[in-house]
Amino acid sequence: MNNENLALKICNIDKTFNDARVLENINLEVRKSEILGLAGSSGSGKSTLLRCIQKLDVPDSGEIKCDCKVGFMFQDFQLFPHMTVLQNLVYAPSLKRKKDKEQFVDQAMDMLKSLGMESKASEYPKTLSGGQKQRAALVRSLMTKPDILLCDEPTSGLDVATIIDVVSLLKSINELGVTLIIASHDLDFLTKIANRVVLIKKGKIAVDVELSKQTDPVSYLREYY
Amino acid sequence: MNNIISNFLYIGSGIAISLELLLGGIIIGAVLGTLLSILRYKGICRSAINGFVSFIRGTPLILQLSVVYFVVPSFIGVKLGIISTGVIAFGINSSAYVAEIFRGGINSVPKGQFEAARSLEIPSYYMWKDIILPQVFINIFPAFVNEIVALLKETSLIVTIGGMDIMRKSQIIAAEQYEYFIPLCIAGIYYYCLVLLIEFIGRKIEQRKLSIKNL
Repeated sequence: MNNENLALKICNIDKTFNDARVLENINLEVRKSEILGLAGSSGSGKSTLLRCIQKLDVPDSGEIKCDCKVGFMFQDFQLFPHMTVLQNLVYAPSLKRKKDKEQFVDQAMDMLKSLGMESKASEYPKTLSGGQKQRAALVRSLMTKPDILLCDEPTSGLDVATIIDVVSLLKSINELGVTLIIASHDLDFLTKIANRVVLIKKGKIAVDVELSKQTDPVSYLREYY
Repeated sequence: MNNIISNFLYIGSGIAISLELLLGGIIIGAVLGTLLSILRYKGICRSAINGFVSFIRGTPLILQLSVVYFVVPSFIGVKLGIISTGVIAFGINSSAYVAEIFRGGINSVPKGQFEAARSLEIPSYYMWKDIILPQVFINIFPAFVNEIVALLKETSLIVTIGGMDIMRKSQIIAAEQYEYFIPLCIAGIYYYCLVLLIEFIGRKIEQRKLSIKNL
C-alpha cells in the first residue's frame, strides 16, 4: 500500500452467496490504530466483510490490500472445547516458537490476571460464562500479536455490565497500537468505542461517519439504518 | 466335567488369534479410515474414496477375505499367511466403516473450529491432529467402540481360510466329539465376554477421558 498510515484498503469488493449479493462494490480505507465500527442490521453483510478481510471468505471481485497481521474474534468465540483456557491461549503461538512456550504461558497468565481470570486458566471453556469466554477468545486473538483485530459482534449475548468491561478492554487494546474493526448491530456500543462508524445496508456502504464530527452520532446513524 | 474344562481351555487358546486379528484389523482400519475421511473432506480423490468405501461396504467380508487370500498373491507373487491375510482384509474392510464414522464426526465439528484454527494460522497438519481429530474422536467414540465389537465378531470368518481362532477350535471339538451344543456355547461365551470387556473399557475411557465433552 502506498499510504503508510493505512492499515487496510478495500477496493471494489463484491461477494455473492447463492445468487444473493451480500457485498456490493465496497470501498474502504482503515487507518492504523483506528477503531472502526461496522454497523448494520443482521444480514447486512458486515460479518461477511470481516470474513473477507480475514480470508475466511474470498470476494468474487475486487481486492483487499493489507500488509498487517490480522486477528479475528468470532461472534461465538470458537474456543477449542477440548483444551483448557491456558492451552487455548498458548497453543497457536507455541507452534511457531516451541522454545518460547514458557514465555507465552507467562504472557497468557499475565493477561488472564489483568482480566481477573487467572483462576480459570486450567478450566475448560464449557465452565466459563459468556463474558469469560469472550475475554478468553480476545486474549487468544491477541496472543498472536495482530496489528489489526477483527471483532464480530463482541457484545452479543452479554449483559450491560460486561459490555462496559468490553468497551474498556477493547480501548486498552487499541491503546497498544492495535487497529480494531468491530462489527456490531448495537449503535450505542459502537458509538461509545469507535472513532469512526461505517454503516452497511444491504451489502453497500450507506454512510461513513467520523464520530468526532457528529454531536449525536446515534441519531444520525439511525436515519440511515 | 474334565472334558468340558479341557474343551474350554482348547477353545480359549484361539483367543490369541482372534485378538491378534482384531488388533491388527482395527489399527489398519482406524489409520486408513481416518486418512480416507480427511482426504475426502479436503476433496482430494473424493470420487475414488467414495467408490472404495461404497464397494467395500457393498460386498461381503468373506469375499474380500477370499480375494486377499487367493487372488492377491497371484498378482504380488507372495503367498500371504493366514493371519496377515486376515489383518489386511479386516483392516481394509474396517477402514471403509471407520471412514464413514469419521465423516459424521468431522461434519459434527462446527465449521467455526476450522476457521478459528485458520485465523490463528495453525498449519493444516496440526489443525487436524490437535484441534479437529480430538473433537471428532469425542463425537465418534461410541460408534468406534461398536465398530471394534463388530470387527471382533467378524474375525470368526478367518475359519474359511483355515485360521485357528475361537470359532475354528469349537468346530474341531464339535467334529471330534459329535457334539455341537457345548463347544458352540463355549465359543459364544468367549465372544460375549470379549465384547463385554471391550464395552467396559470403552465406557471407562468415555467416562475418564471424554468427560470434557462440550459439543
